[in-house]
Amino acid sequence: MKKLMMLSAAALLAAPAALPQDPQKATVAFSDPSRPKKLVVDTMFGSVTVRGYNGQEVIVETTGRAGIRPRGRKEAEPPAGMHRIGGSYSGVEITEESNTVKVSNGPSPFAAADLVIQVPVQTSVSVNARVGDSVTIENITGEIEANNMNGQVTITNVSGSVMAHSMNGKIVANINSVTPDKAMSFSTMNGEIDVTLPASIKANVKLKTDHGDIFTDFDIKLDSKAAPPQVEDNRKRGGRYRIQFDRGTSGTINGGGPEIQFTTFNGSILIHKK
Amino acid sequence: MTCEEARIQMLGEAEGKDFAAHLSSCEACRNEVARIGTLWQSLDLLPVEEPSGKVRERFYEMLAAYRQGLASAESRKAYRWGQLAAAAAMLAVGLGVGYVARGSGQPPAEVSQLREEVASMRQLVALSLMQQQSASERLRGVSWAYQAEPSDREVLGALVTAVNQDTNVNVRLAAVDALRRFAASPEIRRAVVDALPAQTTPLVQVALIDLLVDFKDRNAAEALTKLAANRDVNDGVRQQAQWALEKLQ
Repeated sequence: MKKLMMLSAAALLAAPAALPQDPQKATVAFSDPSRPKKLVVDTMFGSVTVRGYNGQEVIVETTGRAGIRPRGRKEAEPPAGMHRIGGSYSGVEITEESNTVKVSNGPSPFAAADLVIQVPVQTSVSVNARVGDSVTIENITGEIEANNMNGQVTITNVSGSVMAHSMNGKIVANINSVTPDKAMSFSTMNGEIDVTLPASIKANVKLKTDHGDIFTDFDIKLDSKAAPPQVEDNRKRGGRYRIQFDRGTSGTINGGGPEIQFTTFNGSILIHKK
Repeated sequence: MTCEEARIQMLGEAEGKDFAAHLSSCEACRNEVARIGTLWQSLDLLPVEEPSGKVRERFYEMLAAYRQGLASAESRKAYRWGQLAAAAAMLAVGLGVGYVARGSGQPPAEVSQLREEVASMRQLVALSLMQQQSASERLRGVSWAYQAEPSDREVLGALVTAVNQDTNVNVRLAAVDALRRFAASPEIRRAVVDALPAQTTPLVQVALIDLLVDFKDRNAAEALTKLAANRDVNDGVRQQAQWALEKLQ
């Protein structure tokens, strides 16, 4: 079964009384709610919020923005007394196929919209914000994947497994319980990683920051066989003597288990015990 | 009916009075219908491609290996006493093997066969997980790859493919990290150098640069110089490339 829906100019024109920036709403059912469900969000511009709720359908609310135009094409000013209600620079496309609901930008790759999507709690969620703003995922039980270019990724009150990356934003994750045997990974180039894990978690952790600190209140047993510090001795050539410790650290929590990787370039890593 | 309309009909359901009338009056279209007819007939004669028996075999092999992998992952969590007993047994086997090996000069066939079986099981688990649709399963596949033999070319190839093509940044990062243990091979150094310009995610670029520094690979200088000079590349990455060049000198 495949359903296709466009929230675009046509839908908006049907409600000419709508105030500017009023959210538009669409509801899509899964083909078979008793089987594993998945939500895939792929957007260019705008923020994305995915929230688990006590229902069986996917509810998508979108607030259009003026959108980003290709270079050289200026944004048209609304004529006096009028306001923008849509056009090819805003709009969202929603499809459902084999129990996967996909939400993406409509016809224009330059479209921008802020999305709030409600899904059944037991849903796997994958969000890719190609330019992005903030990405928020909450109240979900399932496999969670988030990728964001320019904003913070916030994942709260979730269970299952998490993989999150942001290029320029902070990663915040608060995980209630973790599916045994699942590997997880958190990474950001220019932000902090702040992750809260259940106190009883068993894991092998790998931590790496190039310019930052690593803090935790867990009792992490660091690997003794980690790389020995590197010694550079250039004194004979009139240079300096330098000892460098590896920027990467690894260890185990509660005896070890599946791998959890934390990688940041310009930021600190904080691992809290729940 | 015009010839053009008739041609459109030929592509679909060629029927109807108009079509028949047109055909009887137009020789060009009659020839065309005959030609299309022959084409369909000859297409029908082509043998249908059947999947080879290997596909089924390989699938069940993978399934078995996957189950075995899961079972061994479960049993790893099992009792300490079991581990202790196993360790004692291994010690005894080790002593025995050592004794026999001292005599014959090489380990008995059973032991090396067992070792091969374990290695090929790990390989199958790693490879099958790395092909999954779910990114978290692929990440698990990469952690299995850490346990593969450093000489395992298939796992190595899958890791290089993951570094270059996996859609998930975190899987790519983990794959770069897993390549560290294949450092001994010059091929892998080459692959890491080649992966550098193709990679667009800054954090993965930094991980690749760090790996080249760990490899102490002087052949990487050219690629690093290019990266450091490329203004389209992220500033942090360019600084890291510059730092790497100094380290490798």
